Amino acid sequence: MTTSLHRETKASWRRSGYLLAIATALAVLLSVGVSAAGKGKKASDQAKQAESASEPDAASAAKPDTVRIIIQTVPPRRARVKWGRKSLGVIPTPSPLVVVRPRDSGPLDLVIRAAGFLPVHTRAYTFTDSRVAVKLTSLSDKSKLFGYREEPAPSPDGGVPAEPATTP
Amino acid sequence: MKFVLTRFAAFLLLGSLGCHAGPPAPPSTTPPGMLPTAASNSKPRPDSATGTRTAGTSAAPTATAQRTRDENQAIVIHDGKENWIDAEAAARSGYTIIDFSDDWTPFIFTTQKGPDGTDLPNRYRRVFIGLANDTLDEDGEPLPAGEKNYLELYGIPPSFGVLRQRFLANRQQTCHASISQEKLEEVETIAYVAPDKLKAADRKTERLGRELESARAKSKAASLAELAQKNPSLAAKVKTYERRVAEKAAMTEVEKRLACEGMFKKRERHRTGVYDDAMRLAVRRFQQKNMIYESNYLRSKTMDALARPPLANDYLAFMRVLRERVVDAAGVVEDGTVDGKSGSPTYTGESGKPVQVRNLVDELTKSAAEQLGLDTQEGALDFLKRHKAADFKHMRVAVPLPALPEYYGPNMDLSIVIDRGDVWYDLPWDANGVRHPQPRRHYPSFRLYLKYNGQRTLLARWRTTIGGWRAEQASDGYEYFRYKGSDVGSRVIRNVVAGPVWIAPESTPIRSLLKMKDVRGSWQRVVNYDELGPGYLSAYGLVAGYFVQPGRNGRPDWDNGIRAHGSSNYLSIYSSEGYSHGCHRLPNHLAIRLYSFILRHRPMRVLGDQGMGFARQFLAKDDVYEIRLPSRGYSYELDPPLPVEVLQGDIKGTLKTPVMTYVQKPGTVYPGPPPPVHASDDGKAGGSPSGKSESEE
Repeated sequence: MTTSLHRETKASWRRSGYLLAIATALAVLLSVGVSAAGKGKKASDQAKQAESASEPDAASAAKPDTVRIIIQTVPPRRARVKWGRKSLGVIPTPSPLVVVRPRDSGPLDLVIRAAGFLPVHTRAYTFTDSRVAVKLTSLSDKSKLFGYREEPAPSPDGGVPAEPATTP
Repeated sequence: MKFVLTRFAAFLLLGSLGCHAGPPAPPSTTPPGMLPTAASNSKPRPDSATGTRTAGTSAAPTATAQRTRDENQAIVIHDGKENWIDAEAAARSGYTIIDFSDDWTPFIFTTQKGPDGTDLPNRYRRVFIGLANDTLDEDGEPLPAGEKNYLELYGIPPSFGVLRQRFLANRQQTCHASISQEKLEEVETIAYVAPDKLKAADRKTERLGRELESARAKSKAASLAELAQKNPSLAAKVKTYERRVAEKAAMTEVEKRLACEGMFKKRERHRTGVYDDAMRLAVRRFQQKNMIYESNYLRSKTMDALARPPLANDYLAFMRVLRERVVDAAGVVEDGTVDGKSGSPTYTGESGKPVQVRNLVDELTKSAAEQLGLDTQEGALDFLKRHKAADFKHMRVAVPLPALPEYYGPNMDLSIVIDRGDVWYDLPWDANGVRHPQPRRHYPSFRLYLKYNGQRTLLARWRTTIGGWRAEQASDGYEYFRYKGSDVGSRVIRNVVAGPVWIAPESTPIRSLLKMKDVRGSWQRVVNYDELGPGYLSAYGLVAGYFVQPGRNGRPDWDNGIRAHGSSNYLSIYSSEGYSHGCHRLPNHLAIRLYSFILRHRPMRVLGDQGMGFARQFLAKDDVYEIRLPSRGYSYELDPPLPVEVLQGDIKGTLKTPVMTYVQKPGTVYPGPPPPVHASDDGKAGGSPSGKSESEE
């Protein structure tokens, strides 16, 4: 599979404008924060606006053959991005990592690793230009994640299963 | 979830305000009285006596002199000869244009037009085409060379290009000659023997053989059959022994056949004579290839297909593919499933006489096959041989199909009734975890009705699912059982989503949200997007209709998460113990037919791709997994919505209302009592109207 990748340099990122960076950060903070926590309507509306502003219309007339996938973390950290065995590079904080892929060439299953944080498995799509803003969770905050479960205390009865609590 | 619900509602609202695409294009098969007034004199005419157009008397539109084979042309057979004609002219003349191209998708996945005439593409269309052509995998990534998808069983029939390759390859293969059809036909099924019990089973058969041989010698019988006659007390043993011997012999032929068809994969090591995982997977591939709805064992339909010559199976596949193309071209759904002991139901036609509901699916397919000379295996093979692979890039054919019934039109008064059948609310196991049977005589059924001439007529009836006891993850991170029932009462389908995405609620067990995948040479755990969709394996299958209670006085619709959707889990539909999480499942190909039919015969708007920026993280061991969904699917809005009535069914057992709390799984150690059921999920179980969640199946 041909891969066309490039990292934007700091200079070119500046040229592309700080406005985009601000919009990106806003979208990241709102979309990840809000959807993960399932909070209020106002915030979700703002996130929707930010995302719809950042995602081009799927039905736009002239589409280039490639799509740009902008990858960054929240909080911004230097993080390595891998696609299977292939390293796509390191996010050059504060700039994002920009990946260029053939349009509609299938998704990318990515693993993002930053020192002091749990690795994150995520996915990027190639149907249109997109932004992948990944929330990082520090090792000490593991218990705050959905799916974390406390192990039951050692059973005094030697592990004999309890009877179902609700048996109508 | 509230966030998602708000967003989805906003998208729907946006779509309903701004994306009016007008009524759908009518089917190319036009009902009597609606034939276009073509200038051509060669227009096929309806036979007023029979209500059909007779193919034999139809003169084909003039064939173009130059045989330019592009997408504007179609093949027409006249006097046994193929000609390429202008497809639009043929359609105007009353011919039905059947898409034979490799780029075909069912109606629901085609690129529709927006209100301003712009294309509204469906994200899944490319993947559907890639899967049908063996060029892409379920994620839309290139399929390794030589790999086959075999997804007809899951609603994605192979393209004619793929069938052409299959036919031509099987015509030349020689390994089939070494397979004994006789030995395969000698058994109806082959009993499953677990690999670790095979040696013991073989020893038992040998012992039985020695015992019977000794008895035969003593009684001076010429054969075991004669022994059974002479000594009836040994008849059962003789029968058992002979069946086991025949099954062993047939098993050898099955292995040869599956190997001959390339069903074994190199990485899956098979031990000869053993029904191991490699064998099970090979049988599953064979069943998928031949659209056999059976569990992955050597049961009767599977054995029948294994005993048939490969080309005979190929021809059956060819006819199934042709059927889906004809159904799509003609926009019909009546498939004979309404026929009872006294034949098919009737309705009173405009003439005042009773008219039977026809099996249009079979009738039109047969007609097309006959007219195209594809009604025999040899005819199909000839057709595929005389056309190059490149011909199927744009191939379309024009045939004068029998006229559709008089009730056909762009605004048919359709409705759905779901009968839940026999319903059990009792726990299916006791405190010790021992399961108790909950037999059902009446299974859930899905019925499509038409109101015409003041009568309600049944057009199609299919088996479906209702909810039952399912595992669910509670807020303490542990799995419990919970009764997830199917709502009863009046609903409507306002939105139909092609390539729907299932947003797994937080109560979904994490183990089902992960899978192993080869990501560019690295075997790693990833989010199980197969389950989320869009895709044939999605929890919502390839298409879903969303049940809602219409909002009144300015209130939004109430959505309790119940859908009628396609499913690849056909055993949940057809097995006696199959249940859903509350939704009504149909095999994907039937769901596609159903919703394609509804969308083409009811007023609707194309809302198009429902983009969203959903992301949610969860922890599994020491890694974080992020579900990232860019789209909700491709939406159509029915206006007016389609009425649905869900009948209560017959409540069996002791409990007459469903249990609304979590129930601990027998054998699992929990840290404490079950937490309360998630408030937003209340409405999911058993028709409680208290919830208002966007939770899904």
